[in-house]
Amino acid sequence: MEYLLHIGIVCLIYILFASSLNLELGCAGLYNFGHVGFFAIGSYTTALLTLSGYSVWFGLLAAMLVAGLSGLIFSWPVLRLTGDYFGIASLAFAEMVRLFLLNERWLTRGPMGLPGIPRVEILGYSGNTVTLLTALVITVVSLFCFKKILTSPFGRTLKLIREDEHVARAFGKDVVSFKTRTMAIGSAFGGLAGGLWAHYLGYISPNDFSLQLTVLVLLCVVLGGRGTLLGPIVGAVLVVSVGEGLRFLPLPASMTAGVAHIQSMLFGLVLILLMLRRPQGIIAESHLIQET
Amino acid sequence: MYYLQLFINGIVAGGVYALFAVGLTMVYSVFRFINFAHGELIAWGAYGVLLFASPPFSLPLWLSVFPAILLVIAIALLQNHMVFAPLRNSQPVTLLIASIGLSFLLRSGLQLYFGSDLHSYQTSFYESIDLGGLMISYVQLAMLCLSILFFVILHLLLSKTLTGKSMRAVSDSMELAGIYGIPTRKVSVFVWIISAVFAASGGFLLALDTSLDPMMGLTFMIKSFAAVLLGGVGNVWGALLGGLCIGIIENMGTAFISPGYKDLTAFVLIIVILLFRPQGILGSTIRGVR
Repeated sequence: MEYLLHIGIVCLIYILFASSLNLELGCAGLYNFGHVGFFAIGSYTTALLTLSGYSVWFGLLAAMLVAGLSGLIFSWPVLRLTGDYFGIASLAFAEMVRLFLLNERWLTRGPMGLPGIPRVEILGYSGNTVTLLTALVITVVSLFCFKKILTSPFGRTLKLIREDEHVARAFGKDVVSFKTRTMAIGSAFGGLAGGLWAHYLGYISPNDFSLQLTVLVLLCVVLGGRGTLLGPIVGAVLVVSVGEGLRFLPLPASMTAGVAHIQSMLFGLVLILLMLRRPQGIIAESHLIQET
Repeated sequence: MYYLQLFINGIVAGGVYALFAVGLTMVYSVFRFINFAHGELIAWGAYGVLLFASPPFSLPLWLSVFPAILLVIAIALLQNHMVFAPLRNSQPVTLLIASIGLSFLLRSGLQLYFGSDLHSYQTSFYESIDLGGLMISYVQLAMLCLSILFFVILHLLLSKTLTGKSMRAVSDSMELAGIYGIPTRKVSVFVWIISAVFAASGGFLLALDTSLDPMMGLTFMIKSFAAVLLGGVGNVWGALLGGLCIGIIENMGTAFISPGYKDLTAFVLIIVILLFRPQGILGSTIRGVR
């Protein structure tokens, strides 16, 4: 039961994280390979605040704000790049965040990480059930926000920009401003997911936020289907359950240490096969004009 | 004297970065995508030597370099054949995602077989020469000489042989080159072999100087990407210059900032270059930069 709760919480956090990436990657066509950087910023913001005595709710709010603001600041210079250049620059950003967390020991205790982050507490109750409920509420509310964004004129403009920037410009849309706002919103929700993660695990260290997580979340979005609301949800549930399911494979004892690596190999392979066979993911975005 | 020592260390490291960057830039100029898995060719080069130098092969270190290079060539050709060639007409981002998946697959394979710990070669090759206060180890000397040798060979290949000339034609336009009857398949095999040989040898040399780490591929891939950008994308000589610059800046930087941030230099450079001079130092043409 505890284990199912654990899977549930991890799933919800991944859904939130993947959906926030989907807003950038799927809707606006911003191939952000550094989304984990904002996740890390959110985690550390709320961890540092709650460890110095502020409440968890204030911490989560601050995580969103700080991550969103970093997204805004980061995108101001980098959005002049397009396509794969933007991807590499964002990847470099995430690594910069990780190195910063690793080296500024006075603030983050470096590689030792931050232990003892308080759990979510409602009316004196805490524990995994409370965390699950909190994560559920936050994720559902966030998904509702994403749905609103996707179906709003704002979301439609984003898809136009993704398909053809020149056309968007010709229609008088300020492309950079739209992209900047998307980055800010996406990063804020990424930061929120990071905050939940920190409060669930209770311990974070800079090496949790490596390229590994980037690939995982990228897989969630690409596997499920870019640009759809449901895609990242399906992707996240699949990735988390397959990842956890691999633990139960009847492997010889000498191999158990390698399960994490087998899991990574599998995810890498799935990413390649997806690109080869079905780049649109499980749930393909419909290209019919929808009246909403 | 301290700064001169750092400068020399920088040149030595930079020469090897340039070897990596050449492969990356050649692949980009012919296939038009950033091969994220390039770092894994580097890492597999270094680990391949370890593989053949330890049981059951137990070859001497110098001999095991050759099967390791062959192994990396095989990996490079296989990834081209299985992944990149079928995706040739896709968007660059699709190829980039596929190469990220590939890099993840190859790196995890490495970790599965060798474990995540640091390794080093069993060798007694670590003596240094004292040049009036400047210390240069034999390994560093070998790195320098081999980098120079490789670049001379590359220059001859590109300017004197038909394959090299075809490669330059293909990098201008694969379609036009095909129409002119240039064997584009042969050229792509050539590009992958050069890329693999340079990456594997460079990876081995750097691992000899420091240690083997499963994550080394990623670090060096980012550095060589910075070198490629600095020199101008698709420009082989720019990659050489860019690699040297990255090496020197990174090593000189350790005199002023904490060594923990040594790897940060490349990232900061990537963002600064992309912002202010996306065509690179040498690049006057906008070709390849969108």
